[in-house]
Amino acid sequence: MHEFTLATALVDQLLRIAAEHRATGVTSVEVRCGVLQQVEPESLRFAFEALVRETVAHGAELRIVPEPVAAHCRACGREFAPGIDDYACPSCGRADAEVTAGRDVVLQSVGLVTAGETAA
Amino acid sequence: MKINVVESVLKANDAVAAENRRRLSAAGVLAVNVMSAPGSGKTLLLERTIPRLAPERCAVLVGDLQTTRDAERLGSATPLVTQINTGTGCHLTAPQVTAGLDSLALDGVRYLFIENVGNMVCPAGFDLGEHRRVVLVSVTEGDDKVAKYPTLFQVADAILLTKVDLLGVLDGYRRERVYEDISRINSRAPVFEVAARTGQGLDPWLAWLQAQRSA
Repeated sequence: MHEFTLATALVDQLLRIAAEHRATGVTSVEVRCGVLQQVEPESLRFAFEALVRETVAHGAELRIVPEPVAAHCRACGREFAPGIDDYACPSCGRADAEVTAGRDVVLQSVGLVTAGETAA
Repeated sequence: MKINVVESVLKANDAVAAENRRRLSAAGVLAVNVMSAPGSGKTLLLERTIPRLAPERCAVLVGDLQTTRDAERLGSATPLVTQINTGTGCHLTAPQVTAGLDSLALDGVRYLFIENVGNMVCPAGFDLGEHRRVVLVSVTEGDDKVAKYPTLFQVADAILLTKVDLLGVLDGYRRERVYEDISRINSRAPVFEVAARTGQGLDPWLAWLQAQRSA
């Protein structure tokens, strides 16, 4: 259940941004989840919804977009897309991969309702 | 109004982790994040490793949901032990390690072992500020764990196959399967076969640890 840790950090970030823009509501939140974070979308959603209750972000739609793994072979330099259980380089066969994408969880965008605007 | 943010959710953890690493490096401490399933033998490995490295040069932060049992066990190996109880948290985070570091006198310490919460999924995603990550898997867990939890093994700087003294009673355990899976997931990490109970195989592991300090 590291989804709860991630959701807590996400909601902190989201509420900070909403406050900076003096938002009165949050309509949408898009998060890119590296597949190596092994996030279970329903657990993340559950934690998110529990944490935004009674905040300005209550009712916001959470979109979770998976980000595939990309890697760089330390042995021969090739860039490739490893499988989650197979990091062998297609050129040299060594499993000496430096992961360059697929490990992070990134808040991509938020939809805010600000004064003078109404929720879409 | 749509706002493009593009900011890592892990940023807060990663910033604290970077600060932990800087602090440890400045103090001349090699920090090792020790990860595995519960019951793979992390604590016993450390109980046997620390006396061989010189106890006054080793400190331990040990994470568990509940109890101070691991800290009590490790306390006979070194006085520099802090238990971190995570309550419901299934992995350590960088701020917990910062709090742990504040409780330890690091003068003269050369090795800090951070024994993570026993779990093969969640700890893999959180940088604590360590310099090296080691992953244990005991032979009693079966020969399929590397294939089942590839993400954890992929991030390992070293892999320890533990409890190898029990291989004789494990019918059907195929060691070659483990090596085959490792060769597909992480051929960079050295694999050490150890039995902490008997002391078997500890020398190469200790030599590796010592080499990391000069690396």
